[in-house]
Order: sequence, then structure tokens, then C-alpha cells
Amino acid sequence: MNRQPRALLSVLLILVVGFLGWRAWNSARTDQEGGTELVVSDVSTRGGTLTSSLRSEPRSFNRLVEARVPTDLYSTLTGAKLVRINRATGEPEAGLAEKWTISPDNRTYTLTLREGLAWSDGAPFTSADVVFSLQAIYDAKAGSVLASAFKIDGKPIEVTAPDARTVVLTLPGTFGPGIALLDNLHLVPKHKYEAALKAGTFAHAMAVSTPPAELLSMGPFKLTSYAPGQRLAFDRNPHYFKKDAAGIQLPYLDQVIFEIVPDQNAEIVRLQAGQLDTLQQQVRPEDIGTLRPLEQQGRINLIEPGVSVDPDGFFFNMRAPYWSKDPRRDWITHKEFRQAISHAVDREAYANTVYLGAGVPVWGPITPGNKRWFTPNLQRYGHSVDRAKEILAGLGLVNRDADDWLEDPKGAEAQFSVLVFRGNTSVERGAQFLRDELKKAGVRVDVVALEQGAVIERMFKGDFESIFFVVLTSSLDPAMNADFWLSSGPSHFWNIGQPTPATDWEKQIDDLMVTVTTGVDEAERKKAFDDVQKIFADNLPALYFVAPRLYMGTSSRVGGVTPSILRPQLLWNVEQMTVTEDR
Amino acid sequence: MARYLLRRLGFALLLVLVASSAALLLTRLAPGDFAAAQGLDLTSAQREQLRETLGLNQSLAEQYVSRLGGALRFDFGESMLYSRPVSALIGERALNTAVLATTALLLATIVGMPLGIYSGTSSGLGRAAVRMVSTVGVSIPPLIGSLGLVFLAARTGWFPVGGMTSSAGADVTWSAWLADLVRHLPLPALALALPLAAALEKLQSESIETSVHEPFVAASRARGVDRARVVLRHAWPASLRPVLGLYGLMIGGLFSGSFVVEVVTSWPGLGRLMFDALKARDLFLVAGCAATGAFFLAAGTLLADLLLAWTDPRVTSGDEA
Repeated sequence: MNRQPRALLSVLLILVVGFLGWRAWNSARTDQEGGTELVVSDVSTRGGTLTSSLRSEPRSFNRLVEARVPTDLYSTLTGAKLVRINRATGEPEAGLAEKWTISPDNRTYTLTLREGLAWSDGAPFTSADVVFSLQAIYDAKAGSVLASAFKIDGKPIEVTAPDARTVVLTLPGTFGPGIALLDNLHLVPKHKYEAALKAGTFAHAMAVSTPPAELLSMGPFKLTSYAPGQRLAFDRNPHYFKKDAAGIQLPYLDQVIFEIVPDQNAEIVRLQAGQLDTLQQQVRPEDIGTLRPLEQQGRINLIEPGVSVDPDGFFFNMRAPYWSKDPRRDWITHKEFRQAISHAVDREAYANTVYLGAGVPVWGPITPGNKRWFTPNLQRYGHSVDRAKEILAGLGLVNRDADDWLEDPKGAEAQFSVLVFRGNTSVERGAQFLRDELKKAGVRVDVVALEQGAVIERMFKGDFESIFFVVLTSSLDPAMNADFWLSSGPSHFWNIGQPTPATDWEKQIDDLMVTVTTGVDEAERKKAFDDVQKIFADNLPALYFVAPRLYMGTSSRVGGVTPSILRPQLLWNVEQMTVTEDR
Repeated sequence: MARYLLRRLGFALLLVLVASSAALLLTRLAPGDFAAAQGLDLTSAQREQLRETLGLNQSLAEQYVSRLGGALRFDFGESMLYSRPVSALIGERALNTAVLATTALLLATIVGMPLGIYSGTSSGLGRAAVRMVSTVGVSIPPLIGSLGLVFLAARTGWFPVGGMTSSAGADVTWSAWLADLVRHLPLPALALALPLAAALEKLQSESIETSVHEPFVAASRARGVDRARVVLRHAWPASLRPVLGLYGLMIGGLFSGSFVVEVVTSWPGLGRLMFDALKARDLFLVAGCAATGAFFLAAGTLLADLLLAWTDPRVTSGDEA
């Protein structure tokens, strides 16, 4: 019988706890509102905190073994390069190396480091750190993701350090991008990780559990705290080498914070609410309409760096054995079939449907965003369903029964499946648009959305009919993305890693890419790559429809932005960025 | 009672084993693996090397036996995604989820139960209004609820749009941190608590409505006992059995983390950890999260059973007639 009073007591207790919680919340709110009155906000170029978003957690702080966005952003803030490619001009600019010379045979680069460089712990930065970094990149046990980027024709670069301020790099052969190669070189402190490299544990160095004080920086900021699932906080690195034209020590900002916001909708809402200053990546087309009114109110800025260099791509499996027993083998890998598809797709409508008008039609993988390497003089397949049907009829594909689909003379239906990454909204919408467009031409497309890992695995195994996806470009120079163009390349998606070129046109591209990757005459390189693009457009191993226009969102308090079309579009020059006042 | 408790504990252990095994096996059997989930960042050779290093090339049976052996030694392996022990990751996130779950549970109880008692024992416009609101509350999925609350927070500025603490709270005193935490709690806690409060209200209402018509309630009233006293001291305890049954599931569900609410409101809890682990095909972390979820579910059910046994001794005696 004494249970009822206890139950009543429990209810009372719950009510009391709830009331206290409400009081605490209310008082915290009042405190915060009171606090804002104390803020004296002088417009200043130096100081302040910039808050950006991060959609996923870092898996490691070791940029040599991990290339994903969180680690790359960490490296952008805490790293410095010998020579950096200015993302706005595309030209190399001096970094830790104040000058360099190139030998007459274009194979030896001699770099002179600035005087007085130091890591964030105060230890001097010397040429030994550069030598060590390349050793770590080439170390098999370290498994660096940068290893292939620093091999020329499969051979490593020789590096020596005649003195503490001189680095000599001897390439096994000439390399088209030249000194720009060093934009990929992420540096690690020898005094900190030499033992790990010797012990074969370098791959696990700079794990996310490492205390921030042990992570050294040469960049504008250093990591001061990492709260898993919440945020990374970076403070100004007092040892950073750069100063502005007026001699003011960079960076201008005191602090940068990355709030981890996994949901893109929540990310946009937090920008709208003034809780974020910049976003990790571009604004989605569907969010632009929401942000425009705020832009007009002066609360946010929508910056348009240009046309993306990452168009949506679509390719068939071109491995002959995959189709050898398939009844569709007589037409599905023919270039005329792909040309018909290209004719059938209305690129303007694609831009309007998938990117809500914020896109430009493209005819190859190099978009107008890549001003240096883009060529407009490519074979274009204008939108014409009739022309598409004509080409398909030439392949024997005509409607032989009462349904909507074409059939070949043996009765095989004009049909194929296309795999897409689940959750990538523009790619999913693009694949659905392709399906709808091809239906008009009598070709049936089954769109299959799978997790990214499953699509990648099937792609590498060659177990797919076609794939629709977007490849993220890390460099504008095609020589840095040769894996895509070369028939032997691991990113030659339609037929990966061929021992010898499977087709004549792939052989022609392979030959031209030799000039692109090893040539030192820029005009010759450009001409060779124009020819590569023309061959590609004629044979269409992959079809490209539209490249989106990029929009970056920032709060109106952010200044000093020089947007780039390459990632990270805004933070690449974070040392120059400013905030005008605290929130 | 001891026998009853042992039986329930045995069931709890079995649930944890089955849930974690199923999670491991299903994640392993699904197409792709952790190496493939790295996307195009790795070359084919690096992908194979990674598989070798992580033991992903082992057979399903080998992997399962190895994991089971580890779990018996309380070694849940290392997360492939974060290169950290699974137990440490789960420990951190479970604490965050527990804070949110406790708040949501309290909120759901404070709102749902009294309203259920009220609507189950009264009539008229008030009862109709409560029932209508709870029907709406039950019908709103957590995704819509949390997005709606995020929108409300953004428009009004009443509370932060997301996160567990604010950036400014990174280097503050303990009390300021706590105040900051309390300021961030309403959004995710409401998103979780509102549908639960509505469900509790409905169940409590139906249950107490039956109880108030029991002969012992009528007898108490006939003896002249005050109506409110009869409802709270006699009818309500008798109506708790189905409510406590739901409570067990609620506790389990809340404490194992809601990935929808945690992702939308950027709350760093277990649900989000499990979601990230599943996306990356991190076998051991998925199994660890599933085991933790099952543990909380079993603990919640056990707690509800104990509460039920406390309020209704017929449960343990087997005399339920």
C-alpha cells in the first residue's frame, strides 16, 4: 500500500527536475542576451573567430595517408608548402621555399628555404624535413596516398639536402606541370616522426586520438582541441612565416572552428541563423532560392567562383569479357550507341531540371571552369531525339512490338542498368533525367542507387553495365590526373588498368598524354591535350552533360575571400580571411 | 524473484549476442566493404593492402569467431574508421546519448503521463483537445519533428540550431559549460520526447480509462473516497502495466541513440556513430554499436519488468488471473 506515495513522490521529483532544468535554460538564455550588450564590435581586419562546417569526422590528421575532406582541411590550416599553386591565378607562388632554380634539362629543381622557419613547437624547419617527408611518402609500410603522385613514370624523385636551407629534387624524367608538383607535397616534422617511420608505424601517426599539443603545424593555425562529433578548434600559429604587404603577421584571424554538422539541411539552417560563417562545400542549387533573400538583407554573401570542374559523368563497362555472352553485345559497347545517347539528352533541360538552371552544358570532362585546359572545339551532339533514333536504327535497334522500347534483330531490348551513389542528390536526379530522356528514344534505363562503397567495388571488379557519377578533380593540370586518361590508369573507369590499350583511340590518347605529362613546352602540351579531348569526344568512353555553377555561402561578416573552383574553394587562403565583428 | 531476475538477465545477454552478431554478419554480407567505401582515394593495390591489414579478406566464419573471442575478453576491436578502440568511442558517445535520452525521457514522462491520466479520466473539450494533439504528435516522424524544430530555432533564435555545446563554450568553466549544454538540449530533446509523450499519453489514457471502471475503484468511490485520490492512488497504479511495457522499449530506443535526430541536430551520440559506421562499413564499430543498443534495450526492458513486478506482484508470482 506504500507504493502510491512513492509514485506520487516520483512524479513530484520529475516535475521539480524539469522546473530546475527550465530555470537553468532560461537563465542561460538571459545570460547570453545580456552578454551581447557587452560586446563592443569594432570593425577590424585582425582578430576574431571564423566558424565553418565540416560534414564528417577526420579519420586521421596524417595527410600523407588520408586524403578525405576533413584531413585535407586540417592540412590546409596547419600545413605550408614549399611552393603553392595560387588557386585564383593557377600560378605557382613561393611558400616555404623563397626561390628556386630549374636545370636546363628540366629535371633538377634546387629550392632555397626561407630563413628562420620553425614548426609550431619552435623547432627549426629545415631541408631535412623535406627529405624526410618524401621518404615517408615512398615508404611502403606507410602506404601514403601521395606515393603515386610523386612518381614520374613509376620512378621516385631523388631528394637531397646539401645544407639546411637547400633542397635538390632530381626527377627521373621531365614532368609537364614542373614545380607545380610540389603543391601536393605535404610536409611532416622529422624530429617528431622519424622513429615512427623507422618502426613502420608512420601510417598510425597523427591519429585523431593524438593530443592536439603533439600535432605540429607549419601553417597559419594549429589544432588546439578536437571534440569528437562536435568540433575542431584551431588557434593562430605564432610561428607562421607569412606577413602581408604591410608587414602584418598572418593569419588575420585568431581562431578557426570547424563545427561538425553531418546533415546538409542543418548546415544551411545554421548558416541562415548566423551560427556558421562558411560551409564546407558549395551551396546546393535547391538552397540558392532560400539564401537569396538573406543575401538581399545583407546577412549572407553568395559567391560564385565559376563553373565547377567536376561535371556529372556517365560511362558503360567497356571490358569486352563482361559482354561476351550478353545478347546486347552487338550494339551496347559501340560508340554509335553512346553518340545516340548524347543526342537524346537535352543538356539545357538537364541544367534546368537537375541544377535548377545553375549549370552549363558540357561535351567532355574538361569544363569551361578549367580555363587553361578547356577547349570549345569538340564534337557536339546536339539535342535531337530523331537523330538519336536514326543512329539507333543504324545499329538495328527499332521498335518491333507494341511496347515503348526498341529491340535488336534478335529480340534483345534496348535496355541497360545504371548504378548511382545513393544520397548524392544531383547525381541521382541526373540519372533519373537520363532515364526519362532515353525513354523518349525508346531505350529503357533502370536506375539502381547503391551505397558509394558498393558502386566503387562493382566498378573495380568490372561488375556493372553503366555508372553515373561525379569524379572530384584535385588538380586542373591533366598531367596530375593522368590516371584517368591513360589506358593503364587505375582511374580509367570504363576499362581500368589495361595491360595494353584495348582500342586504337586509347593508344592514341596514351601517346599524346606522354607529351602532356613530360613535355615542358606549354603550347605543345596544350595542343596535345586539345587533341586528347577531341579523340575523347569522338569516341565518348564517358558522356558528360552539364557542369554545375558553383555557389559558396558565407556570412556577411567574412572578408578577404578569394574564391577558387578547386577545393577548398574559400579556405585555401584562410590566412588572408577576416571577420568584421563577433556575433 | 531471484529466478525471475535471472531469467530476464539471461534474455538480456541473449539479445545483446544476437543483435551484435546479426549486425556484424549483415554488414559483412552486404556488397562492398570498408576498403571499397574509401571511394577513389585509394588505388586498387592500396585497397587490397588495406583489406589485408584489417583482416577483411578473412572468411565470414573466421571473422565472426575472432570477434566473438575478443568480445568475451571485453575487447571489441579497433574502429577501422577512426583507428581507435571501439569501446572508447562508444563510451564517449554513449554518455552524450545518455544525457539526451534522460532529458527526453523525463520530458516525455512529465508531459505524457499527466495528460494521459487527465484525458483517460475526464470528458469534454479538454480531453478532445489532448487526444487530438497526441494523435498529431504520434503521427509526426522524428525526422519531420526535428527539422521543424530546427526551422523554429533558426527563425526565432530561442535556442541553438544544433550541436551539443557552442563553439564559445570550448574553454569555459564547468558551470558555464553545463549552462551551455542545457541551452542546447531543448531542440533534440523535444524532437525525441514529443512523439514519445504523445504515445505515453495515448496508452496511459486508454489504460486508466479501463482501470477507473474496475470494481475496486467503484468500491473506493462508494466508501466516499475523494475522486482525485481514487484515481491517483488506486486506478493509476493498476493502469501502469502496459505503460511500463512501453517504457522499457522507450528507454532502450532512447539510450541506443536516434540517428535521425542526432544527425539533424548535430548531437554527437551513439545513433550518429552507428550511422557513420554503417556508411563506412566499419564492421567492428557497427557490431559494437548494435551490442550497445541491444544492451540498453535489454536494460530498459529489464527495468520496466522490475518496475512492473514492483507495482504488480502477480507478475513474479505467476498469478495473473
